[in-house]
Parts: sequence; C-alpha cells; structure tokens
Amino acid sequence: MNTAMDDGRGERPGEQTLSLPAITDAPPGPPADLPAEPERAAGRPPGAKPEREATGPPESSAARPGRDSPAGRRAGERSEPESPAGRREPGVAERSEPEFDAFAPFASGDSKPGPEAPAEPQFDAFGPVVRGSGAAAAEPEPATGEETDQAPEETPAAKREPVAVEDSEPGAPAESDASEAAEPGLPAEAPGDGAEQEAVADEDEADSVPEEPEAKSVPEDLGDEADSVRESPETEAESVPEEPGDGAESVAEEPETEADSVPDKPEDEADSVPEGPEAEGVREEELPPETVKAMAAALGALRESVASLRFGLDLPGAGEARKASGELLAQLEDYVLPRVRMNTAPALIVVAGSTGAGKSTLVNSLAEKNVSRTGVRRPTTGVPVLVCHPDDRQWFAEGELLGGLRRFDQARPEAGQRGIVISATEKLPQGVALLDTPDIDSVVEEHHEIAHRMLDAADLWIFVTTAARYADAPAWNLLRLAKERGARLAIVLSRVQDRAREVVLKHFVRMLTEYGLGEIDRFVISESKVADGRLPDSEVTELRLWLAELSVDGARRAQAVRETLNGVLDSFRTRVPALAKHLEAQVAFRGELRGDVEAAYLGALTDLDKAFRSGALIHGEVLARWQDFAGSGDLMRSLQLRKRARSGRQTPERIIAFRAALRAGLESVIVAAATRAAEEVTARWRHRAEVGAALADGLERPSDDLVRHAGRAVAAWQEHVTELVRTEGVAKRTVSKLVSFDADSLSLIFMVAMFSGGQVEGVPHRLVKALLGAESLRGIGAKALSDLRARISMLFDEESMRYVQALDSAGIPDESAATRLYQATYNLEVAR
Amino acid sequence: MTTVTTPRPGLSSRLSALSKVVELGPGRLDPKLMSEAESLLLRAGDRLKLSSEHTVVALAGGTGSGKSSLFNAVSGLELSPTGVRRPTTARTHACVWGLEGAAPLLDWLQIQWRHRFARASALDKGESQLHGLILLDLPDHDSIRALNDNEADRLIGLADLVVWVLDPQKYADASTHRRYVTELAGHEAVTVFALNQADRLSTEELAELVIDLNDLLRREGVEHPTVVPTSAVTGRGVESLKSVVAAAVSRRRAAIQRLEADLRKLEQRMTAAMPVGEALAIPAAVDEARKMGLVDALCDAVGVPAVGEAMENIYVERSNRWVGWPFPRWADRFRPDPIKSLRLEDVSDEIKGIAAGTVTAQAAEVTNAVQALAEGLSGTMHPVWRSSLHHAARSRLGKVPSALTEDLTQVAPQLDRVPAWWRLLKAWQYALVAAFGCGVLWLLLGLLIPGALPPALELMGDTAALPWAALMTVSVLGLGALSGIASRNFVELGASRERERLEREMRRRVAAIAEKMVVEPVERELARHHAFYTAMRGLSS
Repeated sequence: MNTAMDDGRGERPGEQTLSLPAITDAPPGPPADLPAEPERAAGRPPGAKPEREATGPPESSAARPGRDSPAGRRAGERSEPESPAGRREPGVAERSEPEFDAFAPFASGDSKPGPEAPAEPQFDAFGPVVRGSGAAAAEPEPATGEETDQAPEETPAAKREPVAVEDSEPGAPAESDASEAAEPGLPAEAPGDGAEQEAVADEDEADSVPEEPEAKSVPEDLGDEADSVRESPETEAESVPEEPGDGAESVAEEPETEADSVPDKPEDEADSVPEGPEAEGVREEELPPETVKAMAAALGALRESVASLRFGLDLPGAGEARKASGELLAQLEDYVLPRVRMNTAPALIVVAGSTGAGKSTLVNSLAEKNVSRTGVRRPTTGVPVLVCHPDDRQWFAEGELLGGLRRFDQARPEAGQRGIVISATEKLPQGVALLDTPDIDSVVEEHHEIAHRMLDAADLWIFVTTAARYADAPAWNLLRLAKERGARLAIVLSRVQDRAREVVLKHFVRMLTEYGLGEIDRFVISESKVADGRLPDSEVTELRLWLAELSVDGARRAQAVRETLNGVLDSFRTRVPALAKHLEAQVAFRGELRGDVEAAYLGALTDLDKAFRSGALIHGEVLARWQDFAGSGDLMRSLQLRKRARSGRQTPERIIAFRAALRAGLESVIVAAATRAAEEVTARWRHRAEVGAALADGLERPSDDLVRHAGRAVAAWQEHVTELVRTEGVAKRTVSKLVSFDADSLSLIFMVAMFSGGQVEGVPHRLVKALLGAESLRGIGAKALSDLRARISMLFDEESMRYVQALDSAGIPDESAATRLYQATYNLEVAR
Repeated sequence: MTTVTTPRPGLSSRLSALSKVVELGPGRLDPKLMSEAESLLLRAGDRLKLSSEHTVVALAGGTGSGKSSLFNAVSGLELSPTGVRRPTTARTHACVWGLEGAAPLLDWLQIQWRHRFARASALDKGESQLHGLILLDLPDHDSIRALNDNEADRLIGLADLVVWVLDPQKYADASTHRRYVTELAGHEAVTVFALNQADRLSTEELAELVIDLNDLLRREGVEHPTVVPTSAVTGRGVESLKSVVAAAVSRRRAAIQRLEADLRKLEQRMTAAMPVGEALAIPAAVDEARKMGLVDALCDAVGVPAVGEAMENIYVERSNRWVGWPFPRWADRFRPDPIKSLRLEDVSDEIKGIAAGTVTAQAAEVTNAVQALAEGLSGTMHPVWRSSLHHAARSRLGKVPSALTEDLTQVAPQLDRVPAWWRLLKAWQYALVAAFGCGVLWLLLGLLIPGALPPALELMGDTAALPWAALMTVSVLGLGALSGIASRNFVELGASRERERLEREMRRRVAAIAEKMVVEPVERELARHHAFYTAMRGLSS
C-alpha cells in the first residue's frame, strides 16, 4: 500500500504544486479580490474546491464504479466533452490557468480509475494520492503565509459543503459576487471561466451520473467557499446537512437545482452500494456526501433516541445503562457526528494511561513546550490539554469535536470536568493533535470519566504505561476497551530502566501478544532524568517521527481515522442494542410490578366475593345483632298488616345498631382484604428486586384514608340497598294487599339473606322471598351485589393508585424507545 | 500468656456482645454484615488463641512498588525474589524472628512451608526488638493476575499490622485507596504507610509528595497516618520502618488493636444499619393499655356487647310469656298474624330458633385487631423488626377466630332456660286470674239472680256485699297488672345482671385467648428486639 501510495504521489506532482496557487490565492482573495476580479474569484473557488472535491466525490464515484460497474461509469464520463478537455488541461496548462485546476483533479480522478480500474491496490493508490494532494495543499501554507490559516479549515468546509451553504452571509458584497460568478451569469463577465462553469453546469444538468457529485459540489462550493473565506467555517459546521442552497440567496437557484438533481443519483448509488463506506474504510476512501448526509441523519436520529432514554427504575444494571447511554450520547456529540460530517479534520490523538505514567511529560516533550503540568503529585493532570499546530488551533478551538467542553487557554480551576485547555505549538506537525488526559486509575474518579470521554472522541489512542505498571489491571481493562472499540492504538512503555529493558519488553510483548495486541505500534522510553517537565529529545524521536509520518501521510492518517470511526460505529451494534435491551427489561419489569399490584387487588376482590358468599360476614356482632333483632320480636313487628296504618314509628334503636353492625362487619372485611393486598404487593415487589423494595417503602399498609373511605362506601351502599328495596321491591300483589313492611328493616333482612350465602332455606332468605317475590329478589340481589363490588373496586383502585404513583415517580420508561433504538441502529447500518 | 497480652476486658465483652448480636441477628440483620460479623468472631477467636508473642506484619501494595525489595531489606537477606517483570511475587513469603510458637500461627495464615524463613533474631545484635515479628511479603492486589487471586486480600484481612508499600508512581491509585485505604479509618494504630522508592525523587519532591500523601489519607478518613519514606535500594528509611515495626512488635498489642479496630469498624456499620437510638425505649413487654385495647377489639369481633344486649332483650321478651299479665297476651292472639297470612307459619318457629344463642368471631375483625396491635407497637421500629413483629403477631392468627368461637360458645347464654320463679309467678298470675274470674262470677250471680242461690252461697246474694265484691274483683285485676309490671322489672333487673356477668365472663375468656395466641408471641419478639439492641449497645460502649 505504501508503495502504491508513493507511486500515486509520484505520478502527479503537478497537482500538488497546482493546488498551491489555488489555495494561496484563495484566502487573501475573497474579501478584496472577488468583486474586483470576478474571473479570479470564480476561478479560484473552483480551483480550491475541486481539490477538496477531488478528495471527496470523485473518489467516491471512482470507488463506487469500482464496485458496481466501473467500466460503464467511466466510459460515460469519458464520453462527456469536458473530461477530455479537463484531462488535457492539467497536462498542458496546469500552471498557467488556476481555473483549470478545478478540473485537473476531476479529470485525473476520472481518468485514473480508468486504467487502474478494478484492481484494488490501485484504488488504494489512487485514494492516497488525492488525499495527498489535499494534505499537500495544506502543508505548504505555513510557508506561504498566515492568511492561509483557513486552508485546512476549508477542507472540512469543503467536505461539508452540502451543509454549509445555509449559513452563508449575503451581507458581504463580495460573497454575492462570488456566488453570482458561480452562476450562469458568469460567462458574460468572464468568458473563460464562464465556459468552464457552464461546462460544469452542463454536465450537471445533463445528469451525467458520475459527474453529479462534482457538479453539486462545485457550485455549492462557490458559495461555501465564499462563506468559509469570510466566516469561520466552524459556524457553518453547525448547520444541518440539508438544503444546500437554502440559506444564502446569493447562492440561489443554480446550486439548488443542481443540488436537487444531485441527491437522486448518488442516493441511488448509495442504495445500490449500501455497504460501500465500510469497505471503503479499508481503502481510506472518503464517504460520498450523500452517504455522509444519510449517516449524519441516522446518527442524529440515534442521538435523539439515546438522549431521550430514561432508566427510572434502579434495576441491577440501570446504573451501568445510564452511564453507557451518557457515554454514548457524549461520544455521538463529541466525536461521531462531527467526524462523520468532516472526516478530514486533523486527527485527534489521545494520550491516555495510568497516573504517573508520564502522559503529560510525554506530551510536553513532543510539543517542546510545557503545555501540561507535570509533577510528583498524583494525580497530576485534571483537565485535558489539547496541543496542536497553530494552523489547526482554530479548528479545535471552535470545532464540533468535543463540542460539549468549554475551551480554555490555560488550565484554570474552573475548567473542571467540562473544560479543555487548548494550546498550540509549531513543533507539532499539522493534521495531528495530541490530547493529554487525566489518568484512568487514580483515586480521583472524575478523572477516569474525563479520560474515557476523551478516549471516546479519539481518532487514535496512545496508551502510556510504565515498566512498573504494565501488569496493572486498569491498564489492561483499557486495552481491552480499545480492542473492543476497534480503535487505532499505539502503546508507549515508559520509565524503562536500561538494565531491565530486555526482560520487561519481552514480557510485555508476550502479554500483548497473548492479548491479541501484538501487532500494535510500540514505543519504549527509557527511564531518564526529566528536566523541566520534559524528556530528553532523544527519547521521543521515534514517536515524533511517527507523528510526522502521520501528519504528512494523509492517507494513513485518514485510514486510522476511518478505522477508529468504523470501530466506534461497529461498537454501536452491540452498545445500542444493549441499551435497548435494558430498556426493555425496564419496561418489562415495570409491567411485572404493575401486574403484581393488579393481581393482589384482584385477589382481594375475589376473596371478598368469597367471603360474601360463604357467610363469613354473618359472624360476631352481626350475628348477635341479628339474633337480637329476630329474638326480641322486632323482626315480627316490622311486618304489619295493611289494615293498620303505619304510624310514623321511630326506627327502633335495635335496627340502627344492627345496621351499624353490618356496616362495621363489611368495613372490616374490606379493610382486612385491602391490608392483605397491600402486604402482598410489597412482599412481591420486595421479592422481585431491590428496587421493588425501595419503591414499596412506606406502602406496606393500606392508606390512612382507607377505613374512612370504606365506611363511607358501605354506608352509601346500605342507603342504596334500602332505596332499591323501597322502589323496586314491589311486593307480590297478593302480599302487598295483606302485609306492609318497613323498608329499613327489610333491607337489613335482605342484606343478611344476601350475605348468608348458600343457605337458601334460611329464615331471612325465605322471608324476603315471600315478601318480595323471587324475581324481584333476584333483581335486587344482583343489583345490590354489583353495586357493592363496584364500590369496593373503586376503593381498591384508589389504593392501587398509590403503587402506580410510586412506580411512576421512578420515571415511566418509554415503551417505544427500545424500538426506536433498534430502528436507529438499523438505519445507521443501512446508511453505512 | 502474660498479663500484657490478655485482651482488655473491653474487647472480650464487646466480642461477646457481638456474638449475642450474631445469635439474634439472623433474619433481622443484613446478611452481609452478619457474615462479616461471624467471620470477625471466628478470626478473633482464632487469633486470640494463637501465639500472642508474635505480631504478624504484612507488606502490601501494588505491583512494582517494591514490597519484596523492602521485605529483603528489612530481613537483611534475599529471601523473596525481586524482579522487573510485573507481577513478580505470586506467593506470600514469611520471615519469622523468634520461631518458637510461630508454627501454628503460620499454619493459620496458610503460608506454605517452603516460603517460611526464620531469623534467630535473639542472636542478631540490635535486632532483639524485632523478636516476635512475622513479616509477610504479599503478592500485589492490583495486577491482572490479582483479578483471579485473593491471596493478598485474605492476608490483609488477617495480619495484625499492615505496612502499605506505596511508590511515587502509584501512591494515589484507586485500586489501593478505594478498596483498602478508605476502609482503614480507625486502624491508624495498626497501619503504616511506607513511601518506597524515595531514591527516585529529589528531597523537595519527596517532601511535597509526603505532604500530598498525608492530605490524601486524611481526606479518606485516616486521621493520623504514619508515613515512612523508604528506599529499598539505598536502604534509606528502612531503619525507621524497622523501628516503627519493632515498636509495634515489642508492645505485643497489635493483634488486639487490630481486632478492636475491626470491631469498631463493624460496629459502626451495624449501628448505621440499625441505629440503637430509641429502640431501647420500646418496652420488652406489651403494656396493659395495649392489651386492653386488643381485648376490646377482639370482644368487638365476637360481638360481646351485642351478644349481651341480645341476651337481655330476648330474655325480657321471653319472660313476657311467663310472668306478664296474661290478658294483654291473650288479646295479642286475636291480632291477625302477618306471618300466617304469608303462609310462613313454620318460619316463626325458626325465628325463635335464631335466638338460640351461638357466638362466633368475625375473622376479618380479629385480623384487623391484631394488625392494629402490631402497628401500634412497631411504629418506631426499624422496618426489619417491624415486619418481624407483624409476623410474630400473626403467627397464630389463623386459629384465633375458631378458638374464640369454641371457647365462647361454652358460655353462650341459654335462652330457653326458664327460671323457677317465672313458673311461680305464672302460677300466681293464673291464681289471680282465677280469683278475678270468681269475683266476676260472684258479681254476676249476685246481680242477676240474687235470690235464686243455694243457701250455701247466700252470702253471694247479699247485696250489701256486692260492692265489696266488685271492689275486690277490680283489685285483683289491678294486683295482676301490678304484679306483671313488678315481675317484669325483676326480670329486667335479673337480665341486666346476667348480662353483666356474661360479658365479664366472655371478656375474661377473650383476654385469655388473646394472651395466649397473640400477646405471647409478640412479647417473645419484643424481648428479642430488646435483647438485640441491648447487645448492640454493649457492642458500642
């Protein structure tokens, strides 16, 4: 691969040099140049863009054809009038016409695959080359001047162009000019450029498939570029990846229409090659913008679903799930989303390891500047420190990566857990940034959290351990994590005493190999005098070289970035479903708890029914009062012959007492049943899990109001029965002619008959039957019983509400959230 | 054992309090605390039985902090292999100064024979103060090897004095602090921190580090940490570590101090889980007022007052038939009977039958009564005890209603009983009725056929006597009515006296059952509760 890469580079030196003028022109140009020299402006943006485009769409198109129908696709491209021209141009007039640069990458991009076609290594070669040009474009900048600062930022901007246009500020006249220039109107002003522009547009409108991405990107880039020149590209980064032409009127129709035409094709392509990106990852290809868009959308959806997760019940594992979802969310926001949107941003290399392993010393030595405090106190570093090349600084200072953290220039106490210190040094190569993290194993546990959050956002991990620590359990836990996540890893074994070097190294390597990590880049740093928080330069040379290589070799960097990103995305396959699973467990558990409540109170109702039917109520005082009522002759007296006028007789005391006894009896039966149910619920909850026990706390007994409510309900029911007997108890005609009866007493006899259950032959039953008639008795009986049941179940509902409230207070898990998570994961897989 | 080494009375009494707690604890105390308490008792018993002449000192720490080097430096011999490969030591090594009597202790510590070394220290000049030292070189606790090996944990738990070997790189590791150091509060007397590898630092750095370490330890609850900077390489500080250890060894108190500290720690956790607080204010027996309340509630469940009232009412009603003035009763017979008109003649007999007294207890009310008692007693208790008290109260609940029913039926009023004086009164009433009849007859005869009477009945024809006869007849009638009213009053008086007697008797029986089936188990549990908390207090004093 490396050789292929070299080849690629060797093949097209022209491009790299070409891209220079384009870029150097660009940054100074926009503010002043654009209005003054439309051609230049017009020429430049395409010039600048295409390079980036070249890294983007063409690659993807090239890659895609490679997969589905390379020949046909390429043939199509070739047939278009532009491509030959474009191809010729770079060869002929590369240096003279910056505008042609625009096509150079395309053309070469197109042309390259042609011959190289299906052979994979060649694709590899091709990729790096294009990348290389991008990197090359960035590299010379320091040399050319400070204004070119934005060049690297343009890279992300360019990548994000579909996103960025929205933000463009038409307020600046230059911009509108630039964008106008991009529009067809342009030809009039600048024929030379215009022709090309048109050509580009034509291509686009012609719907030629392979050109689409380019076409789209070109015009948008114009606007975008204009923006990025003026505005800080980071702000654009915020914009949603939709409606490319939307925000900026100046960019207007042209790009839009083109943009419209664009999504169709590429999406088709994306559909036809759904697993494209994954495969491409290996070849460090960049994602086509549409895939990026789709992935960003899918990831956004995933983020939404993860953010809305609530694990209210403290089930075993809920803490972990909560933590995992927090981590997932942070990783999505800090790393995955930004990284997917612009994957050529500088690589973030996170230096992690045990406390006292010398992370800060290492970072200081590499930066040749004391950016991070070192010392003998453990733990030393509490706030992550990011060091990068000055050119990358702004990107990190304002970028989305680790967007949740506040930026500081120097370590300050308030930085705490939500801050990050950013510092720049020219000693570090461009395109790579080092992040010194807090430890993973000291007593300060917040540090572990910060460190893990940083690692979650890392493109590469440098794991630092020492000769004294390399067997520590936390270290290996971290290595396992790295392996699980598929993160790109390098290991630094520091503080190795020279005399022990052999043995330790051998042993460590063996351990690594046993762990399946034998292939990983390793660096050994000897125990040496640390001066001023830095190691002697000789100790870090190797590592510095490694960094430099990573910086220069954009392809390798990109590959590492993609690998880590893919690893993270892969890890979502297990991490998200794990969350969903726990969520389902929560929902199921809640269902079980609710089921317990329902079952307990249903059981209580059944018990009551049984008690009513079995005559359990006619015991104790009720029985005594009934005996009193019957034996004292009140029963007989309550029946009177019609002939006698019913004088306004006072209800005798005995009837009142009887009634009260019945009420008390019923009440106690209800209360006992409710108490039993309450105990059952709490017992079941306790039995289920600790969280159940916590929820059940204070609910072992029925509510204080129960007795009062039950009394009221029973009294109301008695009233109701008396009323029923009075109104519906139309006695048999034969009876009513002869006998009148007192509704109060009769309702009491009726209740006794009702509750003495099966004893149909009993006195009360026969009495009421004789008085009311069998049919009427049945009617009243059914009504009275169902009314009683309704009242009791209302009481019980009130009781069981307490448990439901206790459950709800722990948070109601969203039952659809798990499904949404699965869906989001699936969508993400599809988008990849 | 010498007098110096006998455990202070404090320790043994507290240990016995702990064993009491363990005895009463099952089902009440958190199982984890229970098992810890049990193992502490076991360990204390074992350790106090074994040589008190020896002090077990363990060198503990992370991998690579130089435990073995320090071990060798202290013992002056290369006993434990040191190395650069991590982890180095996998088995515990022991070095004994003064072998006599140490073997059982080493056996107890489960140190392998081949890792035991002895120093005849008495012969070594200047090392006599180390006599009685058993120095252990533990494996590390934080390497990946230690994940599956709790050797270090086990011995850290058993040693009398633990020397934590820290080094400048790892002194703040969570694996040391979270798992061990935070547990060390109160163990200052039996814990030493050796800051090893001091040779790697400059003097200023070392000073800074010692201050930092002290702060860190203090933050974690180790009030007065003993920190000794050492260097196994240069030998610096090894002597001062030796002297610290020697001081502990010569005092012969480390074992006891360790146990005391562990006990205090455990006690604190137990007290946190089950604070004594007001628990001892809860009486060990059920007070009279609560008992009364329970009996009242149970009486209600049986319906004692209602039974009494019913008995009284029915008694009075029935007495009417015997002692009432017959005329109104006869008059009633002529009143049409609604029951008859309903053709339910047999029902009226059954209605009379209902009154034949049976007494039953209502189960739900019994349950509620017992529940209320338990609730009232356990109001301020720890939830665990509350539920165990409830459990105890209900232990025989199922049998209470039937026991009440059976027992009280024996005293249920016999309503069909007819007292003799009722019969007498009835006879008297009928005599009066007869007298009244005679009077009426006399009057009739005297008025209608005054002359036609046989001479024997001449007197009756005497008109002069007639007014007197009439007066007498009316008086008889009045007498009958009066006696009816009077006897009714007597009946009522008797009934109410009977009712009182009945209620008293029933109450007595209810109380007996309540005592036997409810109060007794409750009091047992209360006594246990009281004993438990007394032991808990004994543990903390």
